Amino acid sequence: MADFVQLLFNGLVEGSIFGIAALGISLVYSVLRLVNFAAGDFLTLSAFTTYFFSVDLHVPLVLAVLISMVIGIALSLFLELLIWRRLRKTGAGMLALFLVATGVAFVLRQSIALTFGSNSRKFDIDQIKTFEFLGAQIAQAQLVVLCCASIAITAIAVFIKKSAIGKNMRAYSDNPSLAAVSGINVQRVIIATWCISGAFGALAGVFQGTVQGQFTSGMGLDLLLSILAAVVLGTIGDAYGALVGGFVLGLVMELSTWHVFFGGIPSAYKPVVAFSVLVIVLLFKPEGIFGVKARRI
Amino acid sequence: MSAIMQPGFWIFILTMSGIYGIFGLGLQVQYGVGGILNFGHVGMMALSSYTMAILVISHGINFWIAAAAGVAVAALGGAFLGLTTLRLRGDYFSIVSIAFSEIVRYVIFNSDNITGGTQGSLAIPPIGDNYPSYTDAWDSILRHVQDFLQPIFGDIVDREFVMAIFIWATLGILLLIISRVERTSWARVLRATREDDEVPAALGKNVFRFRLQAVVIGSIIGGIAGIYWALESSLLSPEDFLTVVTFYGWMILILSGATKVKGLPLAAIFFGFLYGGTRFFTFFPFSLVDSAQRAYIRIMIIGVVLIILMMKRPQGIFGKRQEMVLE
Repeated sequence: MADFVQLLFNGLVEGSIFGIAALGISLVYSVLRLVNFAAGDFLTLSAFTTYFFSVDLHVPLVLAVLISMVIGIALSLFLELLIWRRLRKTGAGMLALFLVATGVAFVLRQSIALTFGSNSRKFDIDQIKTFEFLGAQIAQAQLVVLCCASIAITAIAVFIKKSAIGKNMRAYSDNPSLAAVSGINVQRVIIATWCISGAFGALAGVFQGTVQGQFTSGMGLDLLLSILAAVVLGTIGDAYGALVGGFVLGLVMELSTWHVFFGGIPSAYKPVVAFSVLVIVLLFKPEGIFGVKARRI
Repeated sequence: MSAIMQPGFWIFILTMSGIYGIFGLGLQVQYGVGGILNFGHVGMMALSSYTMAILVISHGINFWIAAAAGVAVAALGGAFLGLTTLRLRGDYFSIVSIAFSEIVRYVIFNSDNITGGTQGSLAIPPIGDNYPSYTDAWDSILRHVQDFLQPIFGDIVDREFVMAIFIWATLGILLLIISRVERTSWARVLRATREDDEVPAALGKNVFRFRLQAVVIGSIIGGIAGIYWALESSLLSPEDFLTVVTFYGWMILILSGATKVKGLPLAAIFFGFLYGGTRFFTFFPFSLVDSAQRAYIRIMIIGVVLIILMMKRPQGIFGKRQEMVLE
């Protein structure tokens, strides 16, 4: 039982991180029809910049996280101006978007590796302090991450639902040309999308770095597949779906290691579990959990 | 810079570009004809090379049978990928295909007692007291050819030289076959599905089956590239099959203009220079980083080339623009 509670809690924490990262990717897709393969490396970048500001420059941790979020947003907007806007103008197809996103991911990842080296990093936080809850050991760091993540998720859910710009985003993703002719400022929608994606990617990176304890320049890439699985599971382009997909995958991945299920799957295979779940769901529901059933070929 | 003058360097580049050329040809069948965006192609390479290595080392099976089995497993991998996900939307297929190759690599990485895990093929448990090597049969063939060619061409003929001949001969034969295939009615139907799947479907064509066939054929070609990769490197490691390798293939494909096979050899050689040439980037600003870090720069350059290519010339060197811009 204690094991179960432990895994359940770990799954919730991991799921909230997946959800936050997946939300950014899904939102970008819904507005720009772009699967951002570079998103994983944005996570890595923010973990490293947060480390740089908080440990090397002794900036308070919260401030360092905020700076990293600003960096994530700035980089997203920079890439929008430098690359994505121009690609949209030339009417680039899916292949071009995929390959350019991959190219961006390569450049970003190798730049991080070149700048910060291959050593692993660790935030200057109390990793040892734990609470006991129903027999499970719950780390303080995990608890903080879960609380912050819940606040961020609630805030963004309300923002998309209620705010004017959130409504514009949903309208634009439903029908871009209709939204444009009804006077929605498309540029503003796109900029807001990149801001959310940049800020949430940065948050997810810091959270993952905190929960993992140590991280290297490969962190985001290792996580990207599970995040993409969450995005597709919750139907790509559906922001709420991405959150649900993230939690579902986080929980399934953690609980799959529980010994009650066939003695538990070795934890090294967690990403394999994530994708097996995805493939099985897609076999029955090809458009993801929240997708509208489309014609089949 | 003296290493550039040595024939060994050029032959190395030829070998590498030949292997990745074959690899890219597999993608060519899938994308150039069928419009299928497979980003998990490296998984087929991993499946064929590891299957071959394990069969030879752990079970003492004849190299040729093992190599055929390896290619067959790659074909099965392609069939599995296609059957489970090809019915999905195009972008879902691409995402799941990346995951497929990563999962193959993951399983290889973690199955120590079968694949040697992190230590690579050297740790595959051999049959009896043998040294865990799978290249013996191939090496003896290379030696025979080398003994035959050396009196004619002189000392330039070494193992690598013969290897390059075999690889480019294979690439040439495959190019001939595929360019023939691309003129068949089968390819015409596939090309029609690339533009629009409703019209062929309305004409009674089973679109899914055509696409599945394209994925399997591409996977077989990827599997052949995997066998050559294994023979060339003479030991395997899970690190050989990172997702970035799939994009080596995509880069060759885009450079050659995805819908035309004839540009592929040149594009492959161009890629070979990028791949093998970065070790000579000893001048400023690359002189600021040490040699281990220069491997990072190679991938970075490939990223930059991909971005610039897709932004400035998505049709590649030989392609037609209207065939590349679909939407």
